[in-house]
Amino acid sequence: MGPRNTFIAIVAVGAIGTGAWLSSMVMQPAPRLQTATVLPAPSELPEFSLVDQNRLSIGRDYFEGHWNLVFFGFTHCPDICPLTLQVLANAKRQLAADGQQPLPRIVLVSVDPERDTPEVMSQYVRYFGDDNIGITGTLDEIRKLTGGLGIFFEKSGLDEVDYSVDHSAVVIVINPRGQFHALFGAPHEAGNFVHDLPIIMGGR
Amino acid sequence: MKHRASRLILLLVLGACSGDRAPLIATDVAVSKPKPGMRVAAGYITLSNNTTETITITRVTSPEFKSVEMHESILEDGISRMYPLDEVTIPAGQNVAFEPGGKHLMLMNPTSDADSATLEFYADNVLLLSVNATFAD
Repeated sequence: MGPRNTFIAIVAVGAIGTGAWLSSMVMQPAPRLQTATVLPAPSELPEFSLVDQNRLSIGRDYFEGHWNLVFFGFTHCPDICPLTLQVLANAKRQLAADGQQPLPRIVLVSVDPERDTPEVMSQYVRYFGDDNIGITGTLDEIRKLTGGLGIFFEKSGLDEVDYSVDHSAVVIVINPRGQFHALFGAPHEAGNFVHDLPIIMGGR
Repeated sequence: MKHRASRLILLLVLGACSGDRAPLIATDVAVSKPKPGMRVAAGYITLSNNTTETITITRVTSPEFKSVEMHESILEDGISRMYPLDEVTIPAGQNVAFEPGGKHLMLMNPTSDADSATLEFYADNVLLLSVNATFAD
């Protein structure tokens, strides 16, 4: 093989290698969501007037500037609500350990405003993480928010004091523009959030 | 009900006489610490029926809580619902699990600042099992 042929062979091998590398980059499938559903087009939140755990009056712009994981539940719920908040807290801890930025805020919206005062919410949500947010208010205003997001809740049981509340178990993702962006259906596992949130928040 | 209770009592007596085994075996016992400001906690346990008769748990008590109820969380069409259970049946030789997201004990109104709770399981008025659990997060 003469020097000219050697040169051609090197160029050819180089071209094939570059082509293979480029095609692997182009053909690389986009990371796929494991369980979350992203809305085809993010939707605006309805208008509402509620209070956070610090008694700060809030409206729909409260969610802007952050990614938010929003769960609807109540503090007297012994099983599903603390389990879900613990799952979200574990997922956030894992995302932080993985170096994920930004990290989502964890938000509990009460579906039991009779018992869930801002003080009760404050103590409760902080148990699962210092930065967590608890939202409550009047039943009518809560219904404005839940109605706009397709969240169901209904008081159950006959006991006036120790009643329960049936509620949608979905976790809603609200994007930094304050729009309903995606959702995670129950049952919840931390691994699903750890896998899907970076994809959702990265816009991939 | 009387018939059921008397058969169980008979089993218990026979078990005691023969130095035999306890009717109910508890594993995976856990009681969640009441969250700050909260008056409720959840209890989880796996109960194994160690007899040749069906055991029906009709009541659970705890000295550390004013009342204890057996509940079941069910996810139906994306809605989390909680139903009270009047009784829980454990067939002979089988297990029933009270576990997160399923059957569980709802412990209400703590009566002390204890860091553990004793769970007492009854079939009618017969105490079948008393087990202590340290509170966990």
